[in-house]
Amino acid sequence: MSEPYPHIDRWILPRAALSATLTGVQKEGQSVREAGALWLGPRNNAAGITSVVFPTANGVKATAGQWKVSPELFGVVTRWAKPQGLSLLGVVHTHLHGVPPRLSRADRQYSVQVPDILAVVIGEAGHELDYRNWGWYLYEKNAYRQLPTQELTKRFEITSQNVDLRCADADTIRELDPE
Amino acid sequence: MDLQTSQQEKQPLPQAADTPDDKITVDYLPASQPFHHSYEGSATLSTVRTDAMAFFHVSDHKDRDTHQFFLEFQGRRLTNMAETLEQLLGPHRRGAKFNLVEQITPGATTA
Repeated sequence: MSEPYPHIDRWILPRAALSATLTGVQKEGQSVREAGALWLGPRNNAAGITSVVFPTANGVKATAGQWKVSPELFGVVTRWAKPQGLSLLGVVHTHLHGVPPRLSRADRQYSVQVPDILAVVIGEAGHELDYRNWGWYLYEKNAYRQLPTQELTKRFEITSQNVDLRCADADTIRELDPE
Repeated sequence: MDLQTSQQEKQPLPQAADTPDDKITVDYLPASQPFHHSYEGSATLSTVRTDAMAFFHVSDHKDRDTHQFFLEFQGRRLTNMAETLEQLLGPHRRGAKFNLVEQITPGATTA
């Protein structure tokens, strides 16, 4: 039987994914509610993030203190992603101003829990521009652990590749209009 | 000579008992591989769900929230786990693709 979660040793993260994520969560959250994005790509030993999907409308429940993606939206994204060989590699969400970018207990329990998946928290309602100041967490050995900066530097390669940008709700997924 | 036809002619025709079972695929978004298995039409959705969850190393559980996994078929959440594949797919269909999706029901207000 094949292994559904091959180990990820390092991540290839386009700068475009970082900047698009910031733009998307700032726009969606408007500094008054949390917002987030799903990072997808082929799951390999070196896993490249090739798509960023922004959950919107009836596919997400967002308030000042929580951001939750509906199972229906995950179904929509699954039907779109799997024929292309894409897997969910990371879930990113914001914390509002004054709330540290740490994965809370609720975040940990609510996040997807499979080996080597990333949970990333952007502080300042998505206005913290330096990704090294975000909270980076990796799920391994049945728990999330924070990635120290040294490990982040070692295991993440920031590239200049392009990414596919999408938004999704509980019914459909569509390409995001470039602005 | 048509080699393919020749080889096919050497294959015994399937008998009723050898009729292929329903080939089921279940995708789960975080996983790199889908779950594949062949079932008889009398297999229930509960069996498929249980096997797929075992393959993906996930389980229904409760912490502060309640985590439940369900099968989705053609965009529809399947709730009757006693339904058989034949009942769902009809007598002639020989395969189907499902998605495994997690439903988290909050047990308390999150912070």
